[in-house]
Amino acid sequence: MLDIQNLQVVFGTGRLRVDAVKDVSFHVEPGAAYGLVGESGSGKSTVLRAICGLAPITSGRVVVDGKEVTTPRSKAFYRTVQMVFQDPYASLHPRHTVDRTLSEPLAIHGEKDAEARILQALREVGLGPSFRFRYPHQLSGGQRQRIAIARALILRPKVLLLDEPTSALDASVQAEILNLLDDLRRKLGLTYILVSHDLAVVAHLCERLLVMRHGEAVEETTSKALRSGVASNEYTQSLIQASQGFTRDAKQPTQALAG
Amino acid sequence: MTKPLLDVEDLRVRFHLRTGTVEAVRGVSFQLGRERLGIVGESGSGKSQTGRAILGLTPPPGEVTAKRLAFDGIDLLTASKRTLRTLRGGRISMVMQDPKYSLNPVMTIGEQIIEAYQAHARASWSEARDKALSMLEAVKMRDPSRVFALYPHEVSGGMGQRAMIAMMLVTDPDLLIADEPTSALDVTVSMEVLRILDELVTERGMGLIFISHDLKLVSSFCDRVLVMYAGRVVEELEAKNLREAKHPYTQGLMRCLPTLADDVRPLPTLNRDPAWAL
Repeated sequence: MLDIQNLQVVFGTGRLRVDAVKDVSFHVEPGAAYGLVGESGSGKSTVLRAICGLAPITSGRVVVDGKEVTTPRSKAFYRTVQMVFQDPYASLHPRHTVDRTLSEPLAIHGEKDAEARILQALREVGLGPSFRFRYPHQLSGGQRQRIAIARALILRPKVLLLDEPTSALDASVQAEILNLLDDLRRKLGLTYILVSHDLAVVAHLCERLLVMRHGEAVEETTSKALRSGVASNEYTQSLIQASQGFTRDAKQPTQALAG
Repeated sequence: MTKPLLDVEDLRVRFHLRTGTVEAVRGVSFQLGRERLGIVGESGSGKSQTGRAILGLTPPPGEVTAKRLAFDGIDLLTASKRTLRTLRGGRISMVMQDPKYSLNPVMTIGEQIIEAYQAHARASWSEARDKALSMLEAVKMRDPSRVFALYPHEVSGGMGQRAMIAMMLVTDPDLLIADEPTSALDVTVSMEVLRILDELVTERGMGLIFISHDLKLVSSFCDRVLVMYAGRVVEELEAKNLREAKHPYTQGLMRCLPTLADDVRPLPTLNRDPAWAL
């Protein structure tokens, strides 16, 4: 479904040159969920942004559904690939109602039958028709993220790019959104690429994952291996340990300190 | 039991708004000795407002009332502004969530620590500088004199947060309130910051109030945990007995987190019982 080969993303030139992603390759099967894990600055979000055209592809190939992507991306690309962003407070237009937010992609792509599609999209994400004419400020964080997911799904894409979809949400709301994403994938046969710093979230949603650090791929592993605590790489090991909560005596990864 | 460091009884924080009165904190009571107390809750549970009310930092339309709000025998509600000023930053200090917004962007880190120290201690500039450098060393900066001269935008999030801890601890407070001190940081960095905080708090025998939304983190870090829901404490328990939590809200909060240890699908979600908020 999605094939990334030797992807490199560079911002700026000369003294200001930043190599955000260095030679990252991975492959995602149709219907699979693939995770990208790492700390801030590891380039995990930049990979997602490069796939959907929000960051430049300096070199390498991005192949979606058998076709290499073009820059700028075609309309057909956005019918196949859609993105959900991290912060539901910032990613919805504050002065557009839910109805307008959801009808925008339909209008751009010349889809008919907007009303029925909007109602169906709302139903799919577990919100009733009563939410249709609300503004974002009249919704809770979890409800907003549901709207953002509905907006991404309304064009019936095959691939959903999820950039930290639950990190701005409370734990109990996170559980609801994760369940929703799990359900939708099964029902609609979607392919996910999930970016998160939370190993547990990635292990819950994805089968395979790539650990990234400083723009490089550290290790590709499976969530099964992660659960059993098997990680060949020291960095992955330290991430697993850090996700277990605070311990008073354990050894700390000293490389995390940049003092 | 010896006299508690902080004694809070029936603390209430109200905001009188145009649309009516919102009670953010509704009758919170607890006592704190020289220990680590965690306050856990989701957004809107009133945990941060509790921390702010202790320091008298409730933002303007807010009104704080309590049967008793005493720090080391001093009544914080009736104390003069002058007394409060000497307490704040001197004997009680607070570490905020995001170093990006809480440090002064136009002062070097060293100057800010010196300012904090000189506000509470009579000290010459060179004494204060030595103190600031030793504090930066205590929070494990690799090159204290270099960090001393840096501006906040020149340091990473983890370094900024350690600088803030240095600033808050330079006056040797008796009580430290940490409001989500690691939420803006990466996991491995936040463990490092917590380790430093833990060492300093234990070494100096301070009381610590650790406010967070992360139940797992708090229970691994603190001695005692208060769980807040809708402005009330719904449960108080020893951190090590967290697994035996009785209140359905605490239990629900624990269960709804995905873990590496086991694969539960779908994740149990929290059914909020309106009775919890009564």
